[in-house]
Formats: sequence, structure tokens, C-alpha cells
Amino acid sequence: MPARLPYAYKYLRAKKKFPHVWCPGCGIGIVMGSIIRAIDSLGWELDDILMVSGIGCTSRMPVYVDFNTLHTTHGRALAFGTGAKMANPNLKVLAVMGDGDSMAIGGNHIIHAARRNMDITAIIVNNNNYGMTGGQFSPTTPQGAKTATTPYGMIEPDFDICKLTEAAGANYVARGDVYHVMELDGLIKNALSGPGFRVVEAMAPCPTNFGRANRQGDAVKMMELFKDNTINVAQASKLPKEKTEGKIVRGIFVDKDGIGYTERYQDLCDRVSSGVKK
Amino acid sequence: MSEKPIKGQTKEEHCGAKKKKTPAVHIFPEWCKGCGICVAFCPKQVLEMGDDQKAHVIYPEKCIECALCARRCPEFAVYVSGDTIKESKKKSGGEK
Repeated sequence: MPARLPYAYKYLRAKKKFPHVWCPGCGIGIVMGSIIRAIDSLGWELDDILMVSGIGCTSRMPVYVDFNTLHTTHGRALAFGTGAKMANPNLKVLAVMGDGDSMAIGGNHIIHAARRNMDITAIIVNNNNYGMTGGQFSPTTPQGAKTATTPYGMIEPDFDICKLTEAAGANYVARGDVYHVMELDGLIKNALSGPGFRVVEAMAPCPTNFGRANRQGDAVKMMELFKDNTINVAQASKLPKEKTEGKIVRGIFVDKDGIGYTERYQDLCDRVSSGVKK
Repeated sequence: MSEKPIKGQTKEEHCGAKKKKTPAVHIFPEWCKGCGICVAFCPKQVLEMGDDQKAHVIYPEKCIECALCARRCPEFAVYVSGDTIKESKKKSGGEK
């Protein structure tokens, strides 16, 4: 019974921290529910999991879940997570980041974590702007979109999180959204249950800032936009290009079993300690 | 004479409610912020927005236990229970 009351009370700091600070209709809560259901279905112990985050709306998530949690400096969730993973390789490290946190301030950390194939699962909640500070543009703001700092439309092209991490060498890259929540549950479960650097981009609405600036309506209308403007990767491959133009493709893009960094490091330790010099 | 059948009827109704397992959807008003996502995406229109800008369960008997409201609720304010309404009320009271 994953979607019922007991799971929430087992995994949440329900008595102290709720209701949470996120705005009405914010998608981050839905992503947090997806993470909890994925962990619940895997049956992990709460003490085996470390949730790391940086600064931002999304990075408020470790406050509400009852795992080992680490709330660090802006953009450095992966850096702290790497340290924690190397200190205790048995930890299951889960880095939760926003789009600005992971792509702008922590942009360097994510490409190098992907290059090393560090055994961390990164959940990137993409709401297309810096929601906490008042809706400034971020590297994932679509071209032409209005924000507080681009009132005449964004002129810069945007980052594609999935293509970037795929090119940098991540083991698993997937994109989901909060309207297709069952699919998101599955993507996060897949991401958690494998070696190497694993990324899930979860698209979420920001009705308070991005939705208001672009006149996209309330949370319900923004959720309907995800329903209309996204297409599954399996469907997209069957349809002609004209029909998929302008739609965001969601689904699994990369899924491989490359050897993770901790395993390679353990091999090195074994090799050196057994007396082999080269 | 007139009291007995009334008593009998109420007992029967009461017993019937106990035996019949009604799917139930519950909302914590303290956590609900009234975004309306659960109301808009319920396939059976079980929920409605109240005047207090919070979701309310209007037709619990229509609920098919798909739990999409609970999954999509960003506030963790909805939960769906397959138990009888009486039992789940007890549970929610105890958990608080």
C-alpha cells in the first residue's frame, strides 16, 4: 500500500516540520512523495540513506524527510555527497538539487560527478527559474520565457539537463514530470537501484513565479501543460518529427551498468595493499 | 411497538456499514493549502473545493481507490484507505 498514510508518517518528520514551506501547487512536494514511494518499494532502512542538498526551494527537502540528511552550501550537494560516499561507501547517497543549484552554481560538480561515475543518485527538480529568490532566470529557463529578470523574454538558449549529463558520462539519465507521477515513481526507483552516477530530471511547476510571469495559470493549468506538452520516448520514436516538434520528451535516455567510482577505488585499495606496485 | 422497528433498522444499517468495506479518501485540513490539484485530476470527481479554500470529500462512495490524489498531493494532505471509514478514522486519530 504505497500511497497511503503509514508511508508518510514513517518517512516524514510529520510532527515537527509540517505543513511545509513550499507554495500551494508547487511540484517539489510531489517529487518528494515519489522519492519516498520509490524508497518504500525498495524496502531500504532509513539509516542507510543520506539525502544531501544545496540551497534553494528543492534543497529544503531534507528538512522534511527522516533519513540522514545534510543541508549544505549552494551548488555543493554533489561535492559533500562525494565526500560522504567515500567516507562510508555503504551509504546510499541521494542528492536533491534544483535546476539553478545543479546547472548554474553546481554546474562544474555535476559534470565531474558524471565523469567519475560517482555512486550518487541525483534528483534534479527543474522548475525553470530560481523560485526561492523571486523568480530570476536560470540556465534551464526556455528561450523566450519571461521571468523577473527577463521581462522581455529570455534571449539565451537553455541547458538540456539530460543531454548534458549523458554526454558527461552518467550511467542512468531519465526525465519525468509531476503530472505523470506513476512514471516518475518508476524512474526514481530505477535510478536508486543501480551503480554509478544516476540522474533523474523531474519537471515541476512553479505557479508562484514562473507560471505567473508567463501567464500559464494556476498549478492545475501548469500540470495540464505537462500533460499536453510532453511525450514518452517510446511514442516519440514511432511518430514523425512534425508531430513531436515542440514537445518535451520524457522517459529513460541512458541505462547502463558502468562500474562506479567506489568499486574502482576499492579495487585500487586491494591492489595496493596486496603488494602489487603497478 | 413503534420504537422496536426503528431500533432494528438502525442496528441493521449500523451492521451493514460495518461489514461493507467502503473505500475512503481522507484530507488533513491542517496540511491542505488548497492548490486544487487533487480536485482537478480525480477521475471520479470525489473531491470538491470548499469555501475555506481547502479540498473536501463530497462523494466518498464514488472513490475507486486509484490514489492519484494522494500521489499528486504536494502537501501530503490526502491519503486513501481501503479500510472501513470507522477504522480509518480511528487510525488517523491515533496517528495525529
